[in-house]
Amino acid sequence: MSTFSRRTFLGLTGVAGTTIGLSACAGTGGGSTGTASATASALAKNTGPATGTIEFWSNHPGTSKETELKLIEAFKAENPGATVNLVDAGKNYEEVAQKFNAALAGGQLPDVVVVSDVTWFNFALNKQLAAVDDIAKAIELDTDDYVDALYNDYKFENGHYAVPYARSTPLFYYNQDLWSKAGLEDRGPKDWDEMKEWAAKLKAVAPDGGAAMALADGSNYLDWVLQNLVWEFGGAYSKDWTPKFSDAKTIEALTFFQGMAKEGYFKFSKDAAADFGAGLTGCGIMSTGSLGGVTKNAKFPFKTAFLPGEGNCPTGGAGIGIPAGITDERKVNALKFASFITNAASTVTFTQATGYMPVRKSALKEEAEKSFLEANPNSRTAVEQLPKTRSQDNARVLVPGGGAKIGQALDQIVAGQDVKTVMDGLQKDIEGVIAAQITPKLPK
Amino acid sequence: MGADIGVDAGGVTGGSSGGSSGHTSGPAGPTGPAGAAGRDPRVPFGPPPLRRAGSKGEWLLAAALLIPNLVLLFLFVYRPLVDNIRLSFTDWNISSPQANYVGASNYVEWLGRADTRIVLTNTLIFTFATVVLSMVLGLALALLLDQKLRGRNIVRSMVFAPFVISGAAIGVAFQFVFDPSFGLIQDLLAKIGVASPNFYQRPGWALFMVTSTYIWKNLGYTFVIYLAALQARRGDLDEAAEIDGASRWNHFRKVLLPQLRPTTFFLSITVLLSSVQVFDIIYAMTRGGPIGNGTMTLVFQVYHETFVNQRAGYGATVATVMFLILLVVTAVQVRFMDKGARA
Amino acid sequence: MSAIARLSRTNGRAGMPSAESGIQGRGPVGKAFGYAAMVLVLLIIAVPLFWIVVTSFKRQENIYVRPAEYLPIPFHPENYSEVTSRIPFSAYFRNSVIITFFTASIKIVLGVLSAYALSLLRFPGRNLLFVVILAALMVPNQITVISNFALVAQLGWRNTFQGIIIPLCGTAFGTFLMRNQFLSLPHEIIEAARMDGAGPLKLLWRVVMPLSWPTLVAFSLITVVNEWNEYLWPFLMSDDARTAPLQVGLTFLQNNDGVTNWGPVMAGTVLTILPVLLLFLVLQRQMIKGLTSGAVKS
Repeated sequence: MSTFSRRTFLGLTGVAGTTIGLSACAGTGGGSTGTASATASALAKNTGPATGTIEFWSNHPGTSKETELKLIEAFKAENPGATVNLVDAGKNYEEVAQKFNAALAGGQLPDVVVVSDVTWFNFALNKQLAAVDDIAKAIELDTDDYVDALYNDYKFENGHYAVPYARSTPLFYYNQDLWSKAGLEDRGPKDWDEMKEWAAKLKAVAPDGGAAMALADGSNYLDWVLQNLVWEFGGAYSKDWTPKFSDAKTIEALTFFQGMAKEGYFKFSKDAAADFGAGLTGCGIMSTGSLGGVTKNAKFPFKTAFLPGEGNCPTGGAGIGIPAGITDERKVNALKFASFITNAASTVTFTQATGYMPVRKSALKEEAEKSFLEANPNSRTAVEQLPKTRSQDNARVLVPGGGAKIGQALDQIVAGQDVKTVMDGLQKDIEGVIAAQITPKLPK
Repeated sequence: MGADIGVDAGGVTGGSSGGSSGHTSGPAGPTGPAGAAGRDPRVPFGPPPLRRAGSKGEWLLAAALLIPNLVLLFLFVYRPLVDNIRLSFTDWNISSPQANYVGASNYVEWLGRADTRIVLTNTLIFTFATVVLSMVLGLALALLLDQKLRGRNIVRSMVFAPFVISGAAIGVAFQFVFDPSFGLIQDLLAKIGVASPNFYQRPGWALFMVTSTYIWKNLGYTFVIYLAALQARRGDLDEAAEIDGASRWNHFRKVLLPQLRPTTFFLSITVLLSSVQVFDIIYAMTRGGPIGNGTMTLVFQVYHETFVNQRAGYGATVATVMFLILLVVTAVQVRFMDKGARA
Repeated sequence: MSAIARLSRTNGRAGMPSAESGIQGRGPVGKAFGYAAMVLVLLIIAVPLFWIVVTSFKRQENIYVRPAEYLPIPFHPENYSEVTSRIPFSAYFRNSVIITFFTASIKIVLGVLSAYALSLLRFPGRNLLFVVILAALMVPNQITVISNFALVAQLGWRNTFQGIIIPLCGTAFGTFLMRNQFLSLPHEIIEAARMDGAGPLKLLWRVVMPLSWPTLVAFSLITVVNEWNEYLWPFLMSDDARTAPLQVGLTFLQNNDGVTNWGPVMAGTVLTILPVLLLFLVLQRQMIKGLTSGAVKS
């Protein structure tokens, strides 16, 4: 009797009779349905139009509610037997996860839910998201058309637990005015060594209160963009489930980072895009999602470029998943919807409205996309950078609270603490979390 | 403890003068109408005596009046609280359908963890500063705006206005006040040639930022309660004091403050309880950072452990510890204030 | 009703002239000091408010600038129309009014009734019960929501007003506040009314309530503010503009994955504050009037 069902004790502690009666007939959030349908080879071919009501929980990433509604209309036109309820499931990814967790406790699950790079895994690990592979076979969805790096971000054991949706990467933004004042070539830096050289020149021309480069602080996803620097030095946050914080190369990378911070080359803030957009810094590493806002704010010419280094740009952003606890029939309809709003045409609409990445290879062949990229070179940078992306380290995105812990350590490094001491502490911390929360749940 | 609260009694809007007579007469007290008549006539307030045991009708009426509220509280506050206490003995992952009993190991971990001390210190500093400052300033403002001054209605509304804004909105809005590059404060400081501290990156300044923001917001609450108390107060004491020719400060100390003691007691408890549970402002401003726990308070840690680290079992442990701490602190407050009222 | 008449007289006499705190009005120096303090307060409280209002009239590119711009030039009231066009503002507003009205009303009634029972009625276990209610103030809602979600979802009450309202209706705060108030009433008056033969409910309605008017108004104001600003629970309970209140709806003005245009967000904040502030303007007069005239009417 060492384990007991959460639903039971969530339900029962109060007013005995009624509540118990209710819990008995409610809440499909438990593992049983999920595991049963995980063996989804039993799913029959089903390629007809979708039917029934599909509930789509989204935080409308990138203020995309109107675009989402447009895509839903298009879906309904093709699937007259289906209706889609678009639910305002939160103001950010954390809130969507919180609401989904509440639904897991209390039933009434959605059919399709937006999950971010850091929220999807815990749901998958606890068997609350369905693997899409077999459902994809049943509806004859060609998952190979998804950009490999983006689709494989959701791979765990032998399945994929989401399809890519609002996907972003970091981009290198630079202020051309300050660039020419500093006498730099009109391009992004080749690597971080060059960046450091340039930073010295940029600092000299940056306005009062500014710096060479704008970065988010540790509470606002510095840990995300900094993978770029760590990887360039051959380091990593982790390799598979082994943390690599104490690795000599990781430490070398972060010592280099601390050196630049000590020189005052960085300006850290809650919102790096605001600092860069106001002309305070010569450059910045921010999400592709910030492109629209920066374009609007900046009163100076700016350009985007690849991140420093080769093939070391982390992916990011959100995908959409399907709860494990709903019926197979609902899952099939859910994936039909999910694949529709991420198909080539939808992707083109969505990415042009929001600035996210096209998630399908075929989308790049669409005329509308080609002409859009032609007209928007800054968006094109992101798409061209896509083949150089690399899936993020497990320690950041898959370990519960990993990103926040790394962010905290990076803040400490910026504040001048000894890199090795901080990283050794982080190493132990993350090892502990993996041993306690992940290893026991991995299939042997 | 129950009896103590009863004995303390008094009221938020008036109440005991701090005089020694008649004020220990709680529900269990012996004072009857005769006792009241024998009291200092300048002390008209006090808890009603229990002249006789309640009749059965009164008992039933009390039940009828209390039951709806009690049912709601039991269903939606205490039932989850009991859940929470149970969960604190498990390793529950927020997304998992299963939770394993782990005995008291979460509590042992809490006692041994390095961040426990930081979180407790943050909570203590934040709570102490907000309770003391918002009460002192709230009272000062209530006294000021209780006077016949032209335009006081406008100022009253102004003082109350921040309280009306939601914590989340204030957190968002105040980035335009504190932002070290674009905020109001850095701009004002720049005018006198001082560099703005980086409120978002330095733990000490970040804590200062959320604390002062919370006080700014919460002033309207202490202000309105004190103002209501001042206005419901009866004037006898003032007149007596004026006849005595007491100085203003003496009048304030000897007459007004004792009169307001029940209000002060009420506010000290409610402000403390709401300060400890502050969430929105911290979430919107710092997310508990910088450096991971610069502004991490107990309630924020509950959220962070449950929904970010997904350790709902450990989050429940922190919540339970917090509940127990509040229970003890409130009990001490009740005792202390009660003694004060009697002295 | 002689006791009540006597009370009214007492109150009328004492209330009106000295509703002030009695440490003012002593010469021009005191007055000047008062006004100076008022100006200081106005500055500290009002400047951030002013800043919010100014930002709500700024164009996006004028918000993040150095040095800061103190006036919204160019003036950009379009932020306000953007609030109402980008989100279904009137639906959210209606929901907020419904939720606030019912929750606050129920809370006020329950708070007064509970407080009355706990202060002026006699029954065994009274103080223990009070402590039990008080302890509810020590439970943060972060730990209650998941469990309550499960319960309410099982009742099929998600996306309904009763699902949002009922779980919020229990009140520990109001019970505490009003109990304190009732216990502070001069018990000669209570006793006299009882001797005059007033039953418990009549006592409450005719004697206790009129005497407690300022506190009741303060309680109502605070309750309205709290319900108006309720976020986490309505967010979890409602899926869209059918039942979601303003506080939830406004968050959709923020870009949750990129650069937010803060102008409309601040405009939304201003629009959300105004109704409650107006209510305060009306009610704060009542707070004063209540004391001086409330009892006289009875």
